[in-house]
Amino acid sequence: MQSLRKELRLDLLDLIYHSGGGHLGGSFSSLDLMIAVCFGEIFNLKLDKFILSAGHLAPALYVVLAHAGYFPKEYLSSYASFGSILQGHISTETPGVNYSSGLLGQGLSFSAGLAIGSSNHIICLTTDGEHQEGQVWEAAQFAAKYHLGNLINIVDVNRYQIGGSTDEIMPQGDLAAKYVRFGWTVTEVDGHNFGKITSALKKATHSNYPNCIIAHTVFGSGLSFAKNNHKYHDVKNLSEDLYLCAQRDLNKL
Amino acid sequence: MRPTRPKQTLTSMRQSFGDTLYQLAKVDPRIYVVDAGLYPSLFLEKFKQDFAKRFIEAGVAESNATGVAAGLAKNGKVVFLTSFACFSPALNWGVIKQSICMNHANVKIIGSHAGLASGDLGATHQMLEDIALTRTMPGLHVFAPLDAVETKKIVTTVSQSHLPCYIRLSRPSSENYYDSKKSFTIGKSYLLHAGKDITILGYGPLLTSVLSLDIRNWKLEIINCSSLKPLDEETILKSLKKTGHCLVIEDHQKIGGLGEAVSHLIATSGVKVKFAHLAVDNSFGQSGTPELLYQHYGLSPSDIEKSINNLLSQKS
Repeated sequence: MQSLRKELRLDLLDLIYHSGGGHLGGSFSSLDLMIAVCFGEIFNLKLDKFILSAGHLAPALYVVLAHAGYFPKEYLSSYASFGSILQGHISTETPGVNYSSGLLGQGLSFSAGLAIGSSNHIICLTTDGEHQEGQVWEAAQFAAKYHLGNLINIVDVNRYQIGGSTDEIMPQGDLAAKYVRFGWTVTEVDGHNFGKITSALKKATHSNYPNCIIAHTVFGSGLSFAKNNHKYHDVKNLSEDLYLCAQRDLNKL
Repeated sequence: MRPTRPKQTLTSMRQSFGDTLYQLAKVDPRIYVVDAGLYPSLFLEKFKQDFAKRFIEAGVAESNATGVAAGLAKNGKVVFLTSFACFSPALNWGVIKQSICMNHANVKIIGSHAGLASGDLGATHQMLEDIALTRTMPGLHVFAPLDAVETKKIVTTVSQSHLPCYIRLSRPSSENYYDSKKSFTIGKSYLLHAGKDITILGYGPLLTSVLSLDIRNWKLEIINCSSLKPLDEETILKSLKKTGHCLVIEDHQKIGGLGEAVSHLIATSGVKVKFAHLAVDNSFGQSGTPELLYQHYGLSPSDIEKSINNLLSQKS
């Protein structure tokens, strides 16, 4: 997965540069989490379902799906252009996408609905900023009530959103403690450490309670200019200088 | 005009909904309820008791309930999402858009206590914007049964189809006018009374108040537009061409309801019609009996009668 990380980060950079833009910070923070879910050989993705709640992380999901063979890599540069199967926010029109999304806070509820009465694992990826939405907490209490042990919520905690740090916009307190109080099994991991992520995911597959994996990640991970800089939440027309800089950064991996 | 049959005992749409769903669930194991904390008001106690595994109680959290319903539906279930119309499809509109409609989830949204008819509950609960909200949603069908009999027909029909839809129910019990032998067809209207002078269009119990009007000079053609989307444009236009006069009455805001749909139809079809529309005009409701509220908001039988006479006394 380490070598895959470099390859897919370069694909992600190319997608954002050649297509004219995309949600860069969160895509780079969450990519490793998606790689672990899709290529960590933990889940049978013909039966288990990956639900991306934060639909603006589309660029990261698309490079993962292209690598998995759902569509050719050449499609990536058509991202968010008219007529492309790769919409700006994810849509089930795209092969491999299980949930159309873009409005934050809904994916965990949808995942809970999929999980009820099913023996398959439902893996939902949400973000820390998304937890400002009340519906996420409605879903959290619901999943605990129905003992949805087959539900896994991975929270990408990159600590930034479009207007600044999440702490500045809306202090979150101790997210892990909140989930524990809601009756979930909680594991905190370094969201860029594949060993830690996969062992947390494996542990979550044997649980009687809904599972929350708090993944601490770096906003704009791997890119010197974008790291922890909320101005790179969504970039339009990345300059050639920054593109070359990003390539150098990623090739050092 | 007088009712075509003797006075009957009043029956409840909500009870009809609960009873019908119970009977359907007995033979169709795909039927689920996701309830947002109001199941007693929708007569679902028996469903809850006898089909406990298929009764999901999400509490008074409509947004989550909607997402859960969509997820369940994507696993092949036929999901009835139950609440009052003022909560669902109102508080959860964005969830209906994304989780149900954009994901093509087979969810039937049941919104009870719609309109001024919910009476003493007052403005917050008198949902007068639901048709407007749901009509605009791509892929969502919208139905408003006339009475308890049609409620049964509509619930049975939609349970066998894959479409996401909204069904608007009223709180009070009312007389039944729908012919129990007649089936309900999506996209078809239902002729309550044939006439030649004026076409009266509406839905729900308010429309039945037209049947009790004592109008002898004019022959009223009364059409129940319970299938609000898709609307039976063909039947409506045919009637309008015949009568040349149209009155739409609805327990809903003037903006976004059936009246707007019909006036758009008239404008785009080019048919020459004198048109009037009785509905709530850009204001909220308040507490009171439905009868007093209809008087206050211009929807009483005498308002309807006055409107008919005004329209028909105009020179075409």
